Amino acid sequence: MAEFIRNPVVELPDPNPEAHFSEEDLVFTEDEKSRITDWVNQYPTSDGAVMWTLWLAQEKFGFLPPEVLQLVATELSLPYAQVYGVATFYTQYYKEKKGQIVFDVCTCFSCQFCGGYDILAYLEEKLDVKRGHTSACGRYTLQEVECLGACGSAPMMQVDNGPYMHNLTPEKIDTVLASLEAGQSLPFVSITLPQDEDEMGGNRRTDADAEERYLTPPRPRQTQ
Amino acid sequence: MAVMTKAGDWKSYQRVLLPPVKNLHQLHVYREHGGYETLKKVLTEMEPQDVTAEMKRSSLRGRGGAGFPTGLKWSFMPPVKPDVPRYLCCNADESEPGTFKDRQLREYNPHVLFEGSLVAGDGMSLKACYLYVRGEYADWITHMQKELANAYDSKLVGKNMLGTKHNMDIIIHKGAGAYICGEETSLMESLEGKRAYPRIKPPFPAQSGIWKCPTTINNVETLACAPLILGRGADWFASIGAEKNPGPLLYGISGHVNRPGVYEYPTGMLITDLLEIAGGMRGGKKLKALIPGGASVPVLRADMIEGVTMDIESLREAGSMLGTAGMLFLDEDTDMVAFLRRVAHFYHHESCGQCTPCREGTGWMENLITRIDDGEGNLRDLDLLLDLCDQMEGRTVCALADAAAWPVRNTIKRFREDFERRCRPAVWAVNA
Repeated sequence: MAEFIRNPVVELPDPNPEAHFSEEDLVFTEDEKSRITDWVNQYPTSDGAVMWTLWLAQEKFGFLPPEVLQLVATELSLPYAQVYGVATFYTQYYKEKKGQIVFDVCTCFSCQFCGGYDILAYLEEKLDVKRGHTSACGRYTLQEVECLGACGSAPMMQVDNGPYMHNLTPEKIDTVLASLEAGQSLPFVSITLPQDEDEMGGNRRTDADAEERYLTPPRPRQTQ
Repeated sequence: MAVMTKAGDWKSYQRVLLPPVKNLHQLHVYREHGGYETLKKVLTEMEPQDVTAEMKRSSLRGRGGAGFPTGLKWSFMPPVKPDVPRYLCCNADESEPGTFKDRQLREYNPHVLFEGSLVAGDGMSLKACYLYVRGEYADWITHMQKELANAYDSKLVGKNMLGTKHNMDIIIHKGAGAYICGEETSLMESLEGKRAYPRIKPPFPAQSGIWKCPTTINNVETLACAPLILGRGADWFASIGAEKNPGPLLYGISGHVNRPGVYEYPTGMLITDLLEIAGGMRGGKKLKALIPGGASVPVLRADMIEGVTMDIESLREAGSMLGTAGMLFLDEDTDMVAFLRRVAHFYHHESCGQCTPCREGTGWMENLITRIDDGEGNLRDLDLLLDLCDQMEGRTVCALADAAAWPVRNTIKRFREDFERRCRPAVWAVNA
């Protein structure tokens, strides 16, 4: 806001933006259409399915430029303005192109005081990219996000709106980056409850990778 | 005065929400341990009004933050009209910073949540339950969808549940990252496929909720308590923990403790006992501050927690709130100005922009605190901040502005020296 006071200019969206996708690309396959129909059937009106459909479109196209929003609007018979309103309201819908892999590092206060900002700084240095930006090669995007709901295993981050990486340390980040570079997907990690550790000797789930370590590393600096 | 816990003999407490059973998330294990028996009993033996009456008798209070009596909320639903569908929303958005209990509950015991929704559905004659899960929990959505599909295959959900004439659907809705969706009316707007702007109340959701139909909204943990209450009886439930706020409670402990994580204990645990359970402060440091229930509740100084128990009454007397029971312990090295700066940034980022006092106020709050944190603040900025809180509280559609103002007001009040030390002096020494 301070920036707005210094330079009070509102930038309106370009009325005729350049399209990122050609008309041939802008179609849903039969399989995707049937998934959309399933979602529509779950709600009294087709409006309810807009969030699921935007997720599907983002998975397919990577991000949501105006022509993709128009495609979603046509598919659900909704006004473009409504779909645009929803897509721009929620932070997880990407309005511009991101890197192939997006790191969402939590820095909300539980993570802040367990070293979340150090993890962010380490990633900035390691990937050579500033927070909120995409690396020059277009592979990585680094973002600072609000609480992701894993405060017990702080500091943590989410990769590509998918798996959570808990109890981060610089060494652990190196391992994650190495496996991403090798083209491997990251596993789902299940956090063991402290009481389960005592009463059941470990994680209660036998079908997931379990994380049984509770001690996050000693806290480094605390200011931003 | 002797310090008394209200949790009774908590050392021998047997967990019920997350009982120590391997692979409890799998349907066959859940059923082997008596799962869906309560649903059967409710569907075949109980009348809907008895279900609500039993919930009322249990004195369960909502676990999502506001602590509203659940049975009373259920009884607000208007009489059934045959052509008007009625809905349940399960608020699984859980974006309050410091709160992570519901994620663990959904991972380890999703069926208790499904059973709770279905029990509520019978009690209030509902058509469907919409489970609103935040978009960040993508992995947990997949996990729940798998378990829900198993429940559908076993005829536990959907048409003619358990061979009776009852029908109810459970539908999982994926959000996309907005804190405001945890507010009940904005969650409903989001479900309807709109921007999540909170609505003005009244009309309350029970009169006009999603798609203008009667709707009840409950938190995940609240719904998970319903099968326990109806299975074991309201008296059993009311006998656990603090008298006026009974039941099992998931404590999400985080911060500078040795063993952070989700713990299940009765309500009314002494804060000092919980700190001991969580392995004490990391590195043998001293406790400086405690946030007992997520970002919005007033922070407590270390000298204010003596003898305070984790229930609504006791925390109110101590000058805070139970909230979501997501407890954040902070040690003596914590910089409270940096803490408040981060909290203000959070609310500024998450304000939906509908009401001016909140949209502008949270921004100015962040600006002022940032200035103090950078060492360029003046003493009068502290009073300006408090004045700003007055201008925001109670002047907006939803409670986000209040939730943003309380931590600012109380952190400044309770840690004023920390803030004053960072400000420029008000009076400059005269160089004689």
